[in-house]
Amino acid sequence: MIRDGFLLDGLILILLWGAVSGAWNVAGGYAGQVSLGHSAFFGIGAYSAALLATRFHQSPWLGLLVGALLATVAGLVIGYLSTRLKGPYFGLATIAFSQVLLIVASRWRGFTSGSEGIPVPFRPGLWTLGFQSKVAWVYLILGLAVTVYLVARYLETSRPGYQLAGVREDEDAAEALGIPSRRLKVAAVAASAALTSVCGGLWAQYVGFVDPFYVFSVDLSVRFALNSIIGGIGTAIGPFVGSLLITSLETYLRATFSDFKAGLIGIYLIIYGGLLIVVVRFVPQGLVGWLGERLRAVGRYARA
Amino acid sequence: MLELESVTKRFGGLTAVKEVSLHAQPGEILGIIGPNGAGKTTLFNVISGFYAPDAGRVRLDGREIGGLPAHRICALGLTRTFQLVKPFGNLSVLDNVMIGALTRVRAVDRAREEARRVIATCRLEAFAKSRARSLPIGLRKRLEVARALATRPRLLLLDEVMSGLNPAELVEMIAILRRLHGDGVGLIVIEHIMAAMMRLAQRIVVLHHGEKIAEGRPAEISRDPRVVDAYLGEEFVLADA
Amino acid sequence: MGAVPQLVISTVLLGGIYALIAVGLTLIFGIMRVVNFAHGEFLMLGMYLAFWAFALWGLDPYVVLVGAVPIFFGVGLVTYALVMRGVVKASHNVQIFTTVGLSTALQNAALVVWTGDFRVVRPWHSGVVIRLGEAAFNLSQVVAFAVAVLFTAALVAFMKWTRAGRIMRATAQDVEAATLMGIDTDRVYRLAWAIGLVCVGIAGVLMSPLYSVYPTAGLQFVLLAYVVVVLGGLGDMMGALLGSLIVAAVEVIGSYLVGSAWKEVIYFVLFIAVLVFRPAGLFGQRGSETLGA
Repeated sequence: MIRDGFLLDGLILILLWGAVSGAWNVAGGYAGQVSLGHSAFFGIGAYSAALLATRFHQSPWLGLLVGALLATVAGLVIGYLSTRLKGPYFGLATIAFSQVLLIVASRWRGFTSGSEGIPVPFRPGLWTLGFQSKVAWVYLILGLAVTVYLVARYLETSRPGYQLAGVREDEDAAEALGIPSRRLKVAAVAASAALTSVCGGLWAQYVGFVDPFYVFSVDLSVRFALNSIIGGIGTAIGPFVGSLLITSLETYLRATFSDFKAGLIGIYLIIYGGLLIVVVRFVPQGLVGWLGERLRAVGRYARA
Repeated sequence: MLELESVTKRFGGLTAVKEVSLHAQPGEILGIIGPNGAGKTTLFNVISGFYAPDAGRVRLDGREIGGLPAHRICALGLTRTFQLVKPFGNLSVLDNVMIGALTRVRAVDRAREEARRVIATCRLEAFAKSRARSLPIGLRKRLEVARALATRPRLLLLDEVMSGLNPAELVEMIAILRRLHGDGVGLIVIEHIMAAMMRLAQRIVVLHHGEKIAEGRPAEISRDPRVVDAYLGEEFVLADA
Repeated sequence: MGAVPQLVISTVLLGGIYALIAVGLTLIFGIMRVVNFAHGEFLMLGMYLAFWAFALWGLDPYVVLVGAVPIFFGVGLVTYALVMRGVVKASHNVQIFTTVGLSTALQNAALVVWTGDFRVVRPWHSGVVIRLGEAAFNLSQVVAFAVAVLFTAALVAFMKWTRAGRIMRATAQDVEAATLMGIDTDRVYRLAWAIGLVCVGIAGVLMSPLYSVYPTAGLQFVLLAYVVVVLGGLGDMMGALLGSLIVAAVEVIGSYLVGSAWKEVIYFVLFIAVLVFRPAGLFGQRGSETLGA
């Protein structure tokens, strides 16, 4: 019984982190706008869900909607920044943005309970997103994951998706071909923001506690990117593959190392830091991209 | 169709384009020549919307386009290529051209069909599935033209599409351009390869230090003393008409 | 009026430290055109160096300072060889995630090895308070300031007057020309990286008596350093000095007026505003933006 719960929890987390990395990937992989501050949107979603439930006594579903709307607005702002700033400078600006939100959330005692965070109440029922059984959560998060995956697939096969690919490859050339590059970039970032915030809202409901220092952290932002880069940036399944690798290792380590050795859990992050450096340089297409190439190569040999 | 009136572009203290006026009739082939640094590409950048003119007017079909963003100008029927080609390196040739076609055709599968047609026109079928990045320069130049073609331009600005091509590729490229001309597409061609320019262009504008120093038919230009003067010191042979 | 002398002195003292952190960052950026997201982690390592030297052998941080220079120079050479070589010419993604990955790895290495406990370094001088009229300040602050200023001045002089410095500046201005003139750009980048790390490592040692030491200590300071560097113009050393004073002023005066809670919001907003409206920095030349170039 306990083991089942443990496995289900692991599955839920893999899917959830995969979904949020997939949301990041819409901006970072498909639009080529690498944000290091996506935790801003995640936190907006988490706080919206938590605050609407605790302060305004509304259904967390409404919280998801409100969070998505707020995040979209924030995403439009960040999207605008992405048209003004390139590469690392955009990354810096996004970090600054997420940290501003962190400070505001952790100091605004009156509204957000400041640094203490907000415990999310558990009220049983579909409308209040209170599920006793983990299986229900698995279905819900699976639905989220599939949604994010489908958005990514849409970007791979649709007109705006192809145009975005052009913008990503060479913005000037895309403009010369009639593609409104700025509009597309802003839209991609805003969409990414909205999706990320929904993930944040659901996460808050699942985990039951919103801590500003976690949900707005730079660490978290980097984790979103990490999954996508290792799994395959700019592919639909890549973020989920990355999440599978990283989250399962993390979960395993957490289970294995109990309290006194809890510090050792951090080892996997050292490994992933190193892996990030190696992968981004030598396997930039990520695991999925790399496998795809190997399979195509095999296919060519088979046909020859 | 295209009209430039006293167009000027400055960068800090440098005036790259100085009061240049010219016009291009629909369907004609206009050549722009000039020594390096004459301001030819800058002029293209202004016409196509990558720079806004500091002074003067640019009109397409009578409509002011100076200051409009590049993608709007393309939508209005004017497409340009780049001197240093800019392929979408990680995408296939087909995808490259299809992205051009998507500006005119909304449905992806129809755009793909259109792209296949353009690729056939430009004799790139053998490379349709290849990654753009893997192509040698000659084919990249052809891809650059094909991609621009897919946007169904009425006026195509070609920036040195012939430099770097071997003789066989040159023949192909000229054939493609002639066919375009036959289809009624206006061409403005920046070129260094004088022999090709003389055979192709109906009229030529000569730029030097950002100013227009001569304009006329190829035969007249090659005999114009000011033009010959401007090219002294360049390894350049002005072909006989 | 009473508070002004204190505010001024606090600003100047704080500005000196920020200058040292920022100058290393702007050097790395100016020469390599790479944003070093791991800069704060080297600051953290400097702080831990001072802490362990103090805790294990009772060494005063100012003694450690001397050893810190070769240590961090060595760390710079090693990290360059292992991680940074070739990053300069690579894609934006590689540039971003190489230093981000380094940052993650270093932070967590510190966490694993030294745990997340807050450490303090309390040498004899950290409790000494100097009074000048109505202003009071810490002896440690003054020494940190003095050393920072000396070091920064030495660096500026080095860049301006030595042959190596000129070579580095030439490379920063035009890489191709530098290569054609026979300059080994790889060595230039390596030197810039190593010097940048020495600056921030020293800053860490100097700051250890003044701030708590913990694995993520680098984060708040590196963000601050970015604000300084962007304000002053990325790559502009004099700008970094001026930017340090401005940021220190915002922090000190902001703390005084609005309370320390909200001052950070002020300079982050300032940061984003500068990035968007004057990306060349407050003192940079309009049109000389190289952001993303």
